[in-house]
Amino acid sequence: MARTIISVADLSIVFDTPQGQVIAVDRVTFSVAHGEFVCIVGPSGCGKSTVLNTIAGLETPYSGAVIVDGKPMQRPRPDVGMVFQQPHLFPWKSVRKNIAHGPRMLGKSRSEARAIADGLIEMIGLNRFADAYPHTLSGGMQQRVAIARALANQPRVLLMDEPFGALDAQTRSVMQDSLLELRDRIDATVVFVTHDIDEAILLADRVLIMSAGPGRILRDLGVDLPRPRSNAIMLDPAYLALKKDCLDLIRSEGRRAFDQSSAG
Amino acid sequence: MKRLNILVGALSIPLFVVAWEVIARSGIVNAVLFPPPSVVAVAVLEWVRSGQFFLDLGASLYRVVTGFVVGAALGIALGVLTGQFALVSSLLSPLFHILRPIPPIAFVPIVILWFGLSETGKLFLVVWGVFFTVWLSTHIGVQKVDRGLIRAAQMLGTPRRQMLQEIVLLGALPYIVVGLRTAISISFYTLVAAELAGAFAGIVYRIEIAQQNLQTGQVMGGLAALGLMSFVADRLFAAVAERTVWWR
Repeated sequence: MARTIISVADLSIVFDTPQGQVIAVDRVTFSVAHGEFVCIVGPSGCGKSTVLNTIAGLETPYSGAVIVDGKPMQRPRPDVGMVFQQPHLFPWKSVRKNIAHGPRMLGKSRSEARAIADGLIEMIGLNRFADAYPHTLSGGMQQRVAIARALANQPRVLLMDEPFGALDAQTRSVMQDSLLELRDRIDATVVFVTHDIDEAILLADRVLIMSAGPGRILRDLGVDLPRPRSNAIMLDPAYLALKKDCLDLIRSEGRRAFDQSSAG
Repeated sequence: MKRLNILVGALSIPLFVVAWEVIARSGIVNAVLFPPPSVVAVAVLEWVRSGQFFLDLGASLYRVVTGFVVGAALGIALGVLTGQFALVSSLLSPLFHILRPIPPIAFVPIVILWFGLSETGKLFLVVWGVFFTVWLSTHIGVQKVDRGLIRAAQMLGTPRRQMLQEIVLLGALPYIVVGLRTAISISFYTLVAAELAGAFAGIVYRIEIAQQNLQTGQVMGGLAALGLMSFVADRLFAAVAERTVWWR
């Protein structure tokens, strides 16, 4: 077993709302080994994005701890990169300058940063658009740039919060395949949040299934499908069996939560 | 249809000038109080030829430009501070919100008490008028900067200083630009008040002197010059703004 790079221990997160305190995440514990690709799946409002934001250092734990590469996460760190659901590209910067932003902020010279950016632009296949501005790109292209921008600081950990959630189905499956390809070429541990079970099984080595109200981990599921993978795997019997497991679990949990809320 | 619109549009001002000339010369109105455009043109020509026009233009431009630049710089700087830091906002925003609704022109009497008829008093009025508009739009702009951009920049290791100078300031720029454009017309309002209160040169000062001498032609010429200045300033700014916030 490779060494642990992310360890989430007994993490709880509580939000103050006008209706009082709400437990968004309830004593969640898991760890991720170096090089692993872990997907967190769950219905909206189950706290999966909150868990991810805490690993990113954007959110502070109410109790428990998040340790990345031996150090507790207290604020964003350049060794932990993040791709959001929206690309959030700097609209006043070209594709190249967006990607070069991180290296520049870490003190790399203009030419070093440019070289890093150009390498990544090549990797995401947007050579023709290096000097284009974000508003001229399609949603899928913008998200590619966002991924490249997050990779420019060579993070140990790449966090992805439903990065393909806002894309149309066709673009999404293209993006999934290129992420699978990309992943073989980078040396980063990935934690990927999605509500799409197909996406999770396709991409992940492990799937963490979360339930809502309060957010807890229901099941930690290994995905032993052969790599390299692509969207074609979705017809494989082993894939379908895994998917059935997940769906059954989520359905029974959904029924329980529903009964509970209608009884309460 | 479209061609007709363009044709009529091109005729709008010439038709107005011709109508004015005809009415003023017809004897229906008092030509001393309502001189025809030809008389106005002669007055303006005389004004320019005497060299006085350029002194007046220079004096007014100096007040408007200096006041605008100083007021805008203060407004942007304080707007970024109050927009970004809650403590600074708690300290200053209530004060600014009390002072802001007082029409700047109402400060003319006290400015005369404080500064007399000096240039400082005139600059003060323009700066005062410009400041609050730019401050408010910057403050709002900074608060409306896309949180997603801030988070993305944080994740990329952007230090605090760069965050403020680059992400926050550029993120707020579309709002700031709108504030600056409004402030241009405000700077002309306050210029008028400042020069009417008493000056030794300036376009509005000249209008007032001409009025006292019953030189109605020159009064109208002065109005036209003031309108042209304000118009050119607005168009220039619009052109600059389009290049500054080109990503929109």
